[in-house]
Amino acid sequence: MSRLRLGYQRFTSCCGCQLTLLNCEADLAAFDAAAEVVVFPMASSRPDDGGRLDVVLVEGSVSRPEELSALLQLRRRSEVLAAVGACALTGGVNSLAGTDRAALCEGVYGETAAEKTTFPPQSLSRFVRVDIELAGCPPERGELLRTVGALARGGLPALAEYPVCMECRCRENLCLLLEKGQPCLGAVTRAGCAALCPSFGVPCEGCRGEVAEANRAEQYRLLLEVGLPEGEVAARMKRFTGEEP
Amino acid sequence: MKTLHLEPLTRVEGHGRVELVLEGGELLEARVALLEAPRLFEGLLLGRSFAEVPALVCRICAICSSVHRVTAAAALEDALGVEVPAAAWRVRDLLLVGGHIESHALHLFCLVLPDLAGVPSVLELLREDHPAARGGLALKALGNRIQEVAGGRAIHPVNVEVGGVLRLPERSVLEGLRDDLAAWEARLPSVLEPFGDPAGYPPSSPVVGVGLCVKASAEVLLRGETLALADGREVPVEGYHGLLSEQPSSYSNAKRAGEVLLTGALARQGREGLADSWPGGIHANNAAQTLELAWALERARRLVDALLDADPAAPLAGAVRPGAGVGTAAIEAPRGLLIHHYAIDDLGRVAVADIVTPTAVNQGAMEGQLLADLKGVDDEEELRARAERIVRAYDPCISCAVHVLNVGGCKPGG
Repeated sequence: MSRLRLGYQRFTSCCGCQLTLLNCEADLAAFDAAAEVVVFPMASSRPDDGGRLDVVLVEGSVSRPEELSALLQLRRRSEVLAAVGACALTGGVNSLAGTDRAALCEGVYGETAAEKTTFPPQSLSRFVRVDIELAGCPPERGELLRTVGALARGGLPALAEYPVCMECRCRENLCLLLEKGQPCLGAVTRAGCAALCPSFGVPCEGCRGEVAEANRAEQYRLLLEVGLPEGEVAARMKRFTGEEP
Repeated sequence: MKTLHLEPLTRVEGHGRVELVLEGGELLEARVALLEAPRLFEGLLLGRSFAEVPALVCRICAICSSVHRVTAAAALEDALGVEVPAAAWRVRDLLLVGGHIESHALHLFCLVLPDLAGVPSVLELLREDHPAARGGLALKALGNRIQEVAGGRAIHPVNVEVGGVLRLPERSVLEGLRDDLAAWEARLPSVLEPFGDPAGYPPSSPVVGVGLCVKASAEVLLRGETLALADGREVPVEGYHGLLSEQPSSYSNAKRAGEVLLTGALARQGREGLADSWPGGIHANNAAQTLELAWALERARRLVDALLDADPAAPLAGAVRPGAGVGTAAIEAPRGLLIHHYAIDDLGRVAVADIVTPTAVNQGAMEGQLLADLKGVDDEEELRARAERIVRAYDPCISCAVHVLNVGGCKPGG
């Protein structure tokens, strides 16, 4: 196993994905053995040597010109680019602020608003090729570690392509949606979290984004049946999917 | 005239820059610019159902996601006049204490300890098998475990909604946690030992800024109805807007308080009567964090005991009736005072949202401390290294400091 030259960069986000990596407390020594951290500002003060990277993990959506130019540079420098977390994959909750940034900024910053350069937060794949998608708000510790481990061995991680419902059934949980009448989004959400929230007993909020071929219409109907008003059903289903398809 | 730019600030949470303005080698001005991209959270909440707010605002900051979620729920409960059952507050308090443990351990062991040891990151310390680094990471994992037990997840917990909590942790899980907490009691002092030695810190001037924290009752030390200042002033939490009188700034993406205030572990622990064995100036904040870790473990143990003794059939949420109202809540986040304020319209939609974070409050103190500590230092490398350590001592959480106020002509707190 060769030690990867690894970068971690964050754009518009809450730091939750890199915190997830630092939350692998017992495995950080193994992570360090698999990857040489070349750039990771939150965790290391080592100056970036500017050289080639084997992999760069990128968290956050792109909402400023300087973020876009940094993303393009990282793409050129790195063999593999992994988009980490809901913001990088879809824009995440950042994109709920809508497209009229100027008006919102003026409300926030008054006459200094003109100096804040910002555009609607967008996913990384709008601008660059993304090789690996690690879903979640935040992603799972195991997925981050398995990805770094697989890359260090010259492979790619195997990521789930089925819904959270499948994992929830494997764990033999009662169905929160059908049996308890709670607004659970597990049926349309990409798996990989081992049905974390429903196994704790609370409904899936869809933070891992939509699974391929999700039956949105049926999910919408079932949430109405639970008793949520239409507006709230729509808001819940859109919380983490960012830009409209 | 020459300006030194320190960018990016490393081993802090978020994007920031320090600018030091020098003339003839003399430090004239220090600016702390919080450069996080504006995410406009207060704007994106407008018009949404109050029920969506806790899940959205905890995404302001991962490190403080528990306290954001609880503070948002408490402010909305204040607005809607909801009675939250005691059992729900026990679960929430356990979640808050878990967040404190995780955040302080992250700050002390991953962000500060590399400075004390003279290495770039905690990864080097692990490679050297540094005993405190291993112990500190285990302590951090304990904080995460507590948040998972109480909140369902370590980051962006799911168990807290407006009204109360959704479920009690399972008995067997609480019993396991109780044993782990008991095992930590003997271990804690040796793990925290590196932070008490003043020789490991740079020389420092007295702390800048008037201490500000929530005036806590004897039982609950992280939340309260009144804000207390070190000079004796007291302000009800609803009066926060007048006290802070926040203003936008041209060079930073965070608003700043009108007065120079200090919030965080050092302000909570009080600045009087600090022992000689503490580091000087703002670096004493690290020693204050170690005191709080001991308090937090003890508090977690008592909360777990209380949850094990609780009636499993007791209600976990009060009745929530959507309607018009205005509410404010203040809770101590690990790095200081956090305030959420909302006005709800008669359909239960957010009409005003105002969120004040500790790092935004501390900006003025950071700049004042940089000037006071670095006056007379003329070596550029030393200026850079010490400036970064001063800012880091506050445990700034820059991603959450970006104030995003859009009040549409309404004044919060009014």
